[in-house]
Amino acid sequence: MRMPAFGLAVLLLALATARPVSAQQVELRAFMGGQHRPDVVRSLLKDYMAANPGVKVTVEVGGATSELHQRYLSTVLTARDESIDAFLIDIIRPAQFAAAGWAEPLDAYLGDERDAIRARYLEGYRTANTVNGKTIALPGFADAMFLYYRKDLLEKYGEPVPTTWPELARIARKILDAERDPNLQGLSFQGKAVEGAVCTFLLPYWSLGGEIVRDGKMSFDRTKAEASLNMWRAMVDQGIAKRNIAEVGTDDTRKEFQAGRVLFAINWGYAWNHFQTGADTRVAGKVGVVRLPAMPGGKSVTCSGGWSWAVSAFSRNKAEAAKLVRYLTSPAVAEQLAIRASQHPAMAEVYADPDVLKAVPWFADALPVIETAYARPVTPMYRPISDALRINFNTVMAGVRTPREALDEIEHRIKRALR
Amino acid sequence: MNAAPRYMEAPRRSWLDRVSDPSEKVLAWMLLTPAIVFMTAIVAYPVATLIWNSFHDVRLLAGQSGRFVGLENFALLMQDAQFWRAVRNTMIIVLVTVPGSLIAGLALAMLANMPFKSRGPIRLALLLPWAMPLAFVGLIFAWFFHSEYGIVNDLLVRMGFEPRIWFNSPTLTMMAICIATIWKTSSFMALILLAGLQTIPASLYEAAEVDGASKWTQFTQITLPLLVPSMLVALIFRTLTAIQSFDIPYSMPGPGEETQTLAMYIHMNAVDYLDLGYSSALAVCMFILSIATTWIYLRYVRGDK
Repeated sequence: MRMPAFGLAVLLLALATARPVSAQQVELRAFMGGQHRPDVVRSLLKDYMAANPGVKVTVEVGGATSELHQRYLSTVLTARDESIDAFLIDIIRPAQFAAAGWAEPLDAYLGDERDAIRARYLEGYRTANTVNGKTIALPGFADAMFLYYRKDLLEKYGEPVPTTWPELARIARKILDAERDPNLQGLSFQGKAVEGAVCTFLLPYWSLGGEIVRDGKMSFDRTKAEASLNMWRAMVDQGIAKRNIAEVGTDDTRKEFQAGRVLFAINWGYAWNHFQTGADTRVAGKVGVVRLPAMPGGKSVTCSGGWSWAVSAFSRNKAEAAKLVRYLTSPAVAEQLAIRASQHPAMAEVYADPDVLKAVPWFADALPVIETAYARPVTPMYRPISDALRINFNTVMAGVRTPREALDEIEHRIKRALR
Repeated sequence: MNAAPRYMEAPRRSWLDRVSDPSEKVLAWMLLTPAIVFMTAIVAYPVATLIWNSFHDVRLLAGQSGRFVGLENFALLMQDAQFWRAVRNTMIIVLVTVPGSLIAGLALAMLANMPFKSRGPIRLALLLPWAMPLAFVGLIFAWFFHSEYGIVNDLLVRMGFEPRIWFNSPTLTMMAICIATIWKTSSFMALILLAGLQTIPASLYEAAEVDGASKWTQFTQITLPLLVPSMLVALIFRTLTAIQSFDIPYSMPGPGEETQTLAMYIHMNAVDYLDLGYSSALAVCMFILSIATTWIYLRYVRGDK
């Protein structure tokens, strides 16, 4: 009996030691949103897997909007789910992810190169992804809101590109009256209660010099906020934006402009690639893109955006996941994303790349806009503040509340969130 | 039941005998144990955690994970206008959709109970809304009521009415939500009522017919009274699900948060804000509301008997 038992033990030992050899293949799962061009990322990952034969990366796509994206990650990460190794997060969220302990700080994985890697990125993106001195995420791409316009229509009526909101309203009114096309909208923006609506509200507010949170304390300027709400409301009341603007989300604006139904549109960088090369685009070659207009007496500002790659604190392959994140946030990938998805690089050097400038010529002027873009409030309590702003902005656009009523609730909710 | 007869008792029993041939008391415990373990794990433990959380400050984003705060969460809730609005919206859904689906369900059940040839396919069709996931129903109706692409506005325009921006108005949105909910839940009501209808003996109607009672009298004097027990069962289930309304109102959002229900507000505080203390306090309120409703119905059932 002894010999077979010994034999069995040897066999088991052999099996046990053999396992790691067959399991050397590391499987990583990366989560990103449908609007972030998973098709492009997947093809870039093919190169990565070819260069790293031991690693297999699958991309999980979810979250049509930033809120849905976040809701999914909140659920998965609150449950300490190990199935996702790396994820793309909105630039407004690193503070929240750090507070909740969901993102593995990357500093240890960057080793000696930490400072060199961090130095690559634009300052705004470096600081947005650093919380209490720890690198919570690395920027995948930068972004800002721009004004897209129909070059052909402005030329037809001999109008300049507007530099203030009232000027935009005047030009839109003139062209709408002359075109007499019931399907043409003067201006499309995000009036639905999505994250983009926070920016829509803040654009004129910032343009006038307003702030929301300063050193963790509320700093809310009612007069400037009211001016912002009134300005947007007037766009709807004057028929420049459509009456159901409260139903319009970020990608609705993109689709309607792409279908040739919008004169001016506020949107992020990704829209350009769709307008120029989308399969069903009707505006290819007719699109111009510039800085956003300013409020009278204010300056031209824009809202900074972008998404960052982070490693899950619950991943079982953190080192490999960190390596993947380094790849996805590298200059080579940023260049490809700029060319194939018109996503803005978070590194200054890529803006000067000749291949990039050939694909997206307007990136030549985009760098200063990105660099001077305003960031939404940085606080772990961002979500309730964002809700207070976009929910109330949406009710004003729907005509359910007056700007004053909305402002009362915004103030009340921000105070409560920062209690 | 009595104890086992004496002749069955063996003088000395091994543990094996005791397990294979247990006394009634032991058998009862053996049969109940899996259920008790199961219920403790999936009902008692979560409910206890919920109540514990509701007395603590568990705000994960503020780094608070369990400071005892007594009734603070409940005090906050009492002053929270958003909570009261959510309660009001939930009550509207309960008060409109419960009677609405009862009436629609009764009509459907009566129809399906009629003796006609193609009863099989009709009854199957009746099940369809019930079998559909709630979120799908919400999304489908959200498209129906969309101001530009929706079929409802298309019909309104064809009939010569003004199109409406449904989701710009809290009242219109609540109407759309109630219509979707009634459509979705009537078939469940119909199913239970149909089962009830089939237990009413045909002889009662024949006797009434002989006595010269009209169809309406037959309905009010025979059908309705005999259907009360099935109705109560259906109503308890329907009311409880209406109090917990989430999927349909969530997929058909009105302006801002004007049409938020209590369940949506709990979800927002728990999932979006990670404020588990406050959301637990809200959930405790919903729990009390559900228990109270069930208790009222059950009292009515007992009082009736």
